[in-house]
Amino acid sequence: MKQKLNISNYIVLLAATAFFVFPLIAAFEFSLRSNQGKSHDWSNYQWILHEPGFRTNLGVSMRLALLTAVAVLVLMVPTIVYLHLGGARWKRLVEFVCLVPLVVPVISFALGVGTAFPTFLQSTVYELSFLYVIISLPYTYRALDVGLSSIPLLTLVEASRASGATMRQTLVFVVIPTIRSAVNGAVFLAVALSLGEFTLAVLLHWDTFPTWIANVSQGHILNAIALSVLSLVGAWVVVMIFALAPKSLRSSKSQEATS
Amino acid sequence: MSQTITKRTDAPKPGVGPLHFANRLGSLKSLIPLLPFFAFIAYFLVFPLTFIFRDAFLSNDGKFTFENFAQCFQGVYGHSFYVSIRLSIISAAIGAVAGALIASAIVKTGTRSRRAVAATASVLANTGGVPLAFMFLAGFGTEGLVTKALKALGWNIYGGSFTLFSASGIILVYSFFQIPLMVLIYSPALENVKPEWREASDSLGGNRLTYFLRITVPLLFPAFLSTALLLFANSFSAYATARAMTSGTLPLMPLLIGNLVDGNVIANQEHLGHAMAVCMVGVSIIVMSIYLLVLKFSKVKR
Repeated sequence: MKQKLNISNYIVLLAATAFFVFPLIAAFEFSLRSNQGKSHDWSNYQWILHEPGFRTNLGVSMRLALLTAVAVLVLMVPTIVYLHLGGARWKRLVEFVCLVPLVVPVISFALGVGTAFPTFLQSTVYELSFLYVIISLPYTYRALDVGLSSIPLLTLVEASRASGATMRQTLVFVVIPTIRSAVNGAVFLAVALSLGEFTLAVLLHWDTFPTWIANVSQGHILNAIALSVLSLVGAWVVVMIFALAPKSLRSSKSQEATS
Repeated sequence: MSQTITKRTDAPKPGVGPLHFANRLGSLKSLIPLLPFFAFIAYFLVFPLTFIFRDAFLSNDGKFTFENFAQCFQGVYGHSFYVSIRLSIISAAIGAVAGALIASAIVKTGTRSRRAVAATASVLANTGGVPLAFMFLAGFGTEGLVTKALKALGWNIYGGSFTLFSASGIILVYSFFQIPLMVLIYSPALENVKPEWREASDSLGGNRLTYFLRITVPLLFPAFLSTALLLFANSFSAYATARAMTSGTLPLMPLLIGNLVDGNVIANQEHLGHAMAVCMVGVSIIVMSIYLLVLKFSKVKR
């Protein structure tokens, strides 16, 4: 698959690298400034660690992400498995429904939620998780659908049922381990989305990690920049570890051997 | 690829699928396992959406009116349509062209570097939002390193009318997530272009230009156009970055809606906000319908 790159390809890649790396370096340099830009040290980063808001708000976002991921799996895996088995005639409809969140701008959605939801739902920050499930639908549906299309699902389910497993056992112990990489992809998307989402959180007046960064910037712009660099680099490192890990860690090979 | 998937799953599988003579009742029965999904969608998606539409047609004392929509197209609100759509078109065009160039260079490299680029692109395309805004404030601000470096190279970016808080500044910042998104979605289409076709074109006497015009362009244009439309929708509805950067001063539709609903600028204008939100959904629906048409057309052609 590897082909020779010509000179214009190199120019494009070089320009792209410069365009994406240079602002990041500049932001990093800026976040190290102290004393009105006279010297450089880590004080802006140390401030973050000592600020109690950092831990509480990151905690809220982490819990939201966890709940979103669980909700996505509980809702979507049985649904899509069924679409691949008995409910094939509804596949078009579900596919279409899952694309609707792409058409609705998040700000419009947030407005509707604000007026429509009863107070008991709006009194807890975890309402956001259910909304994150909705706005991640187009991506999670696709990830799981592609994963299920690539395995002999009917054979697996029939074999498992014939051996006396219930449908729930089949889902948890047979189907999910087989499409582990697709499940990982869907979970990863849901988690990334809930950790970075801003619009819904701010319009429904909740404090999450991204809205906290925006609040910090009001009084401590340097600390907000340090936080931004930290969260972007942090997310990038996690994804790179996933993407470049040796194949044995990424795929479901190791699980197959043990089960 | 998607074609083969739909073909295979569309046909009910023998034994488990609904029998072909299934009556209406039987077909409704096959809907039962999907009830949790549809209930969830109905409550968390459809229910809030109906409320935007309802409130858009209500006046402040709860009577039916078209007044909100009339106001939508006047003054700063009408102007925001122009500003928002123009900004989205420019941003989508820049993102699409630059992303396509980068993607066509990257498909030629090895698997490992392709995977690294895809991972990086997915982070940049998704984590945009607030961190991105502050990164650019730091790098491209008057005291930022990028500004200083460009000045040292003889280009004062603040020499003209440029500021980060104007439309051109927002377009610059948006490219930071638009280009990666283009790379991410457009790359799979590029991988379908076989090197053999280049050889075939060469052996039939085609040069680089004919290959580009008669093979690459017809083959990739649908993918290019549809992704560009997605980029348009993406920048059209983007809110977080613009709000964090401009604190709501640029007349973009999402920012105006945010101001109206927060109520800290003008009181009692919530219904106007809802009408604007409905207009945004309308623009989005138009763009996404073209997107679906392009996809359909490209499938028929193949």
